[in-house]
Amino acid sequence: MSDIPIENFLVLSAVLFGIGFYGVLARRSAILILVSVELMLAATTINMVAFAAYFDHEAFTGVIFAIFIITVAAAEVGLALGIVLRIFRERRTAYVDDASELKW
Amino acid sequence: MLELLERIPFPQQLDRIVIFTGLVAGALVTPIAIVLLALLIFDEITAAEVVFWLAAAVIILGALGAVLLPNIVHATLSLVIALLGVAGIFLLLGSEFLALVQVLIYGGGVTVLLLFGLMLTNAGDDPKVTDGAQKPFAFLVGILLAGVVGVALVDQDWAKTEVAVAPFTTLGERLFRDFGAPFEIASLVLIVALIGAVAVARRDRDEDDDTVEEGESS
Repeated sequence: MSDIPIENFLVLSAVLFGIGFYGVLARRSAILILVSVELMLAATTINMVAFAAYFDHEAFTGVIFAIFIITVAAAEVGLALGIVLRIFRERRTAYVDDASELKW
Repeated sequence: MLELLERIPFPQQLDRIVIFTGLVAGALVTPIAIVLLALLIFDEITAAEVVFWLAAAVIILGALGAVLLPNIVHATLSLVIALLGVAGIFLLLGSEFLALVQVLIYGGGVTVLLLFGLMLTNAGDDPKVTDGAQKPFAFLVGILLAGVVGVALVDQDWAKTEVAVAPFTTLGERLFRDFGAPFEIASLVLIVALIGAVAVARRDRDEDDDTVEEGESS
């Protein structure tokens, strides 16, 4: 279908994962940490779909896994936003630094 | 209720955000698009490669915006741009179904959910957020991770194969025949997560009384 080597897709997903990882570590706002996690999930999805499209022409297992990743990501966003809202209502802040009681 | 409505950044503020974001994104992507088109005209690269590099530029710029912009609403909208670019990559990889799902779920559902989260927390009053003091360290770790994984991937000798389009019938067969049990478990995960989200985020009627009592006793 196309003559793009698979390395392009893999390196793109690696760079995207690195950017998302930076976001998770650097951000303080809980919602922006969620945004960065979404980026990392998108990176893994690209990786799996690339391998399925290039090397798994009968079964496409990577695409199936991508569908599951998207499903679980949607559930994760909903639940995490519920927790963020709860924390915000308890202490009027959405920064993860301010909820550090379990930090040892 | 009125107070809540006033906090929605709509229409003037959101209009301005969308127009501004569009202008910035256009200014960033247009030079790349022009260079790619010139290369295409001079037969240096194929049309598929033009689409790939354009989608890659959109993804990387959108992702950088999502992790670097100080305004929380801008960062979230930047995430949408990056995820739509990912949908383009899926099209290029021959998975129309995933591209559709990506646009529907991320472009629609997750974005609206995140913007609602922003609206219900204090983004309306103070959209600027500060990052943690560990920022340089995080930058180093991100660069190292992407660099190490990228070099490892490039160094590998991949077999020269072509992209195969995933037919809908194959996907459906795989999903419902071979992955039937995981599919059901995923639906269970979804319903449990959504009920749990409602249960966690629900405002209890007697919650205020509890906090008052605790305050009095302490």
